[in-house]
Amino acid sequence: MNFKRTLSALAIAALMLPGAALAQNIRLGADVDAGTLDPRVMRDTTAYRVINLLYDGLVQLDASLQPNPDLAESWSNPEPTVWMFNLREGVKFHDGTTLDADDVVYTFETILDPDLKARFRSLFTPIETIEAVDPQTVRITLKEPYAPLLSYLDMGIVPKDFVEGGGDLSSNPVGTGSMKLNSWERGSRIVLEPFADHWSGNVPGNGFEFVVVGDNTARAQAFEAGDLDIIQSPLSPQDIGRLAEDDRFQNAIMGGLGITYLNINVSDPLLADPALRKALSMLVDQETIVGQIYEGVDQVATSILLPSSWAYDASIVQPRFDPAGAGEAFAAAGWTDSDGNGFLDRDGEELALTLSTHSEDPNRIQALEYIQFQMQENGVNASISISDWPAFSAGVRAGEHQVALLGWLNIVDPDRLMYAQFHSSGTLNWGGYSNAEVDQLLDTGRASIDVNDRIAAYRAAAKLIANDLPYYVIAYQGYQVFYSEGVSLAPDARGMMRSAARN
Amino acid sequence: MLGYTVRRLLLFVPIAVGMVAVTFAIMQLLPGDPAAVLLGEDATEEAIQDIRRALGLDQPWWIRLGNYYLDLAHGDLGVSYFQNQPVADAIGQRLVPTLEVAVVALLISILLGICLGVVAAIRRGSAIDACCMLFAQLGVSMPVFWFGILLMYLFAIQLDMLPSIGRGPPLAPALGKALTGRPADLWLALTHIAMPALTLGLTNAAVISRLVRSSMLETLGQDYIRTAKAKGLLPMRIVLVHSLRNALLTVVSVMGLRFGALLGGAVLTESIFGWPGLGQLAVAAISQRDIPLIQGVVLTFALAFALVNFLVDLLYAAIDPRIRYE
Repeated sequence: MNFKRTLSALAIAALMLPGAALAQNIRLGADVDAGTLDPRVMRDTTAYRVINLLYDGLVQLDASLQPNPDLAESWSNPEPTVWMFNLREGVKFHDGTTLDADDVVYTFETILDPDLKARFRSLFTPIETIEAVDPQTVRITLKEPYAPLLSYLDMGIVPKDFVEGGGDLSSNPVGTGSMKLNSWERGSRIVLEPFADHWSGNVPGNGFEFVVVGDNTARAQAFEAGDLDIIQSPLSPQDIGRLAEDDRFQNAIMGGLGITYLNINVSDPLLADPALRKALSMLVDQETIVGQIYEGVDQVATSILLPSSWAYDASIVQPRFDPAGAGEAFAAAGWTDSDGNGFLDRDGEELALTLSTHSEDPNRIQALEYIQFQMQENGVNASISISDWPAFSAGVRAGEHQVALLGWLNIVDPDRLMYAQFHSSGTLNWGGYSNAEVDQLLDTGRASIDVNDRIAAYRAAAKLIANDLPYYVIAYQGYQVFYSEGVSLAPDARGMMRSAARN
Repeated sequence: MLGYTVRRLLLFVPIAVGMVAVTFAIMQLLPGDPAAVLLGEDATEEAIQDIRRALGLDQPWWIRLGNYYLDLAHGDLGVSYFQNQPVADAIGQRLVPTLEVAVVALLISILLGICLGVVAAIRRGSAIDACCMLFAQLGVSMPVFWFGILLMYLFAIQLDMLPSIGRGPPLAPALGKALTGRPADLWLALTHIAMPALTLGLTNAAVISRLVRSSMLETLGQDYIRTAKAKGLLPMRIVLVHSLRNALLTVVSVMGLRFGALLGGAVLTESIFGWPGLGQLAVAAISQRDIPLIQGVVLTFALAFALVNFLVDLLYAAIDPRIRYE
């Protein structure tokens, strides 16, 4: 059997097939299949990245997260609570119908309707009304000033008539994006083809093919074998080093939009004491976790503000790894090893706590085990609890945890990581953290339109949080993308692919 | 024989009822709420309660279980919470790819296992025997996961012979085309299925080769083999007809049980090779607490397992004329 000859015969046969033009598709590795291709209810990163190609939003965030015109040609903010958007004319949906203001209104009204189960609904609840002034103008009226709004308006706009006529966007997406759906083999691949009638008139010649390979290392190997053109986070730190050294590939390794952190439950009787939270924080060896376990692809975090954010300030710092300092802090709070068993105690009660995380991410488990080791070395009887994500997150959501290791993604605005998490009325404030000063600063940050006021508010809040420690931020997550020679790309930390093209 | 078949098939009903109850109980005991997973971390408690009502999760467990049985009796497996598609459709799309890999893996493991086992048995104590048994030892102890990555590194990256990921054309139609003289599709399908099937079949091949070896050694020591030798039959005939046929009985009985392991192994294999099968679907469903989908997948696995074991019992009678079912 002559293997090569057979293969080339096959290649010729493949070229004669009707689908041959698709040979130029850019093939991207994905870790999970998209759950849905309806932007309003999307949940996973694959859906997020595919939908960005299929749909346009009112705005599009650029790589530095600044909102740029997309379907909205321009906008204005005549009053703090009123936003006006002027839509582009002659924008076509993939089904040939024309976009107008009703589609925009319909998109956000359905997101705000609890029946749709939209995951991002809470981002838009400050909206009081959204209305079509005329076919090209949309007015959004807010209940109160809401500065982050623009950052969230990259939400894909859906065609009202199509959906109301019974169309199912989740499996049959119809957007205005430069790509339209060619085929979707569930669990395996999503194929997109260029949409020639895109309003920009600037449509790439190639389509896209998102190929699902669940295992990180297998996906990296498929890329090395030439069966994928682009792979991106999530990747295993162990593969990143090898790929970065391979000069056949181009890469971008940059700060991402996520954090890995310890959620310290302030309503736990033991952890309610800020001095104890501070002492425990000093036992988290960030350098080793980031350098050894994450092999340097993430960055040691200093505060709740991301380095990529306009609000970042390197001078705001949480406690650093300092076992000796932690020992003094424990002693000052009355914890001593009176019975000589190696663990601290106070009033006959041993200093014991449970660290928890989820089982899906081996690096997180390793990091947690390392923190446990450091705590035990320094007199804290720390135990570990690992369960799968649904079980773990149910416990954290109910505030049943003591110290939980987890993360946040897609932090496009400081509000996204702080308001719901640290405001005493916040919906994600699982530990019930409450600080009147922080509440006021977060309200200011949300309501001010002046970016300097927002910066001042978030920095002041971050300083208080670095001291109160309801969160201890371990790492700023990195973003990595590798792409083959035949592909050009302007990398974007959210993994968006609009800039990708065949050379 | 017909009576036996009908009775065995009727037994599938209590199996299905039991499996549903067990899966339901596990899902009930497992912490984690599908509504919370559905909405993501940034959902409010109020929104979660809305969804729980919409999904019917606020009802007591006996009503939900009863409704499920009722729907099942009408052939309705429900709708997946996450995929917005009927469970039966989701499973239907994934079943064939998984069966493809499982069947090819089974064939590979039977062929490989029997060949190695027979050779090892007739050359007992030799270097060949040692090699075969070393293979068996490795095959049993090597993690499926690691072996898959290793195969991919060798055949896709270093030798550049096989595609690293994905599924080729569907196997059955490709086979049909090949029989009418157009082998291109079949070849493409086989290059895609080779690594997943080998990965999945390796452990099985190792188990079978050990079994074949030991039962061959047993039959080779029997009186009728000595008689056959004394009669001057060809050694090949003695081994293949007189000894192997009897040795196969143990293999066949184990094969049905091993099919369960194949279905379980499919979960890992599919996530390595990007194979669009039931295994990947099962993992996704469990990690999302997609209860209707989990129920459907477990039921499918259980019935497939029961069916294969039933077929094995029928095969038993075909191989050994002494076995008859009433």
